[in-house]
Amino acid sequence: MNLLILGLILGMAFGAILQLGGASSYHKIVGTLLLKDMAVIKLILMGIAIATVGIYALDLVDMANMSIKPTYVVGIAVAGLIFGVGFAVAGYCPGTCIVAAAEGKTDAVVTIAGGLAGTLIYSLVYPAMKGLIGITNYGEVTIPSALGVTGLWVAIPFSAVLLLLVFKVLKDRYE
Amino acid sequence: MQNEPILSWKVAGLLLGLVLITATALVKPVGVSTQYVVANAVVLHSAAPNLAESNEYLAKYGEKNDWGVGYGWMFVVGMFLGGWLSAFITKRVRQRETPALPPMWKAQFGASSPRRMMHAFIGGALLLFGSRLAGGCTSGHMMSGISQLTIGSFVFGISIFVSGIITARMLYKKRTAA
Repeated sequence: MNLLILGLILGMAFGAILQLGGASSYHKIVGTLLLKDMAVIKLILMGIAIATVGIYALDLVDMANMSIKPTYVVGIAVAGLIFGVGFAVAGYCPGTCIVAAAEGKTDAVVTIAGGLAGTLIYSLVYPAMKGLIGITNYGEVTIPSALGVTGLWVAIPFSAVLLLLVFKVLKDRYE
Repeated sequence: MQNEPILSWKVAGLLLGLVLITATALVKPVGVSTQYVVANAVVLHSAAPNLAESNEYLAKYGEKNDWGVGYGWMFVVGMFLGGWLSAFITKRVRQRETPALPPMWKAQFGASSPRRMMHAFIGGALLLFGSRLAGGCTSGHMMSGISQLTIGSFVFGISIFVSGIITARMLYKKRTAA
């Protein structure tokens, strides 16, 4: 199949799932960060639990087109702190604001515009950021590769822990 | 009133997992935030080609896509269409009293659309600055990265929630009237 059409179809499925699951809702996202509403985090962790086992099962038969991002601990931690502020202030993330915009939420359209501006600023200061990316950079490392074991042996217990978390531990907490 | 999601987290999570697996099997893991760079690169390439081509970061993504659109871009277009379609079918398009104002935000900060737009814009800028510095966002790092057991993605996931939880608490410290 044409790669562009495949992208469109997979994107449509992804967007529809986020919308139907409530991930494009300001109320649901900020509710998560206020630790009151666990639906979105449970949705994500459930998805990760399924995907981790699935991807490493595919990897066992060499059918997973994996793409491992480099681990630069300090740079990523700083980036996450910046992202987290934006997450709470906007109440969307870079993907869910696109879905929310499709629902006619005009603030989400502005979040996309802000995102384009933030990206442009990053592009301009990129040379200055290279230092942050260079330090504590361990390259494309995963838990299985660091331990030197077959991925599935980490994936199965990890997914089991996530499932325990979403089904037994995380509970909604309304006032 | 707030609309509760159509799908439970169990069903949506299961489907999400299947999409992540399918994308990895057929093409590559799911990711969104790179497309903000592609969008900037493509627009700037036609508006100010010298700037676009001389910027190391924009050139990295622009040249790879031949200063045009590719699979990842179509994925994001698909997200918009898919999100719209499911919202339309379930009658969730334009549900808000004021399009720019989430009811929860309004109860805390008042009925000012310009003020909400300012939050939304600044929030968006921080989201993407952070995503580009990390090399991915909630989809590329959190969902796809953790699913591949990438160590940096765990760092990112923990970091965004620590910061997000603290920020949300500060924003909603005052008791919401109503």
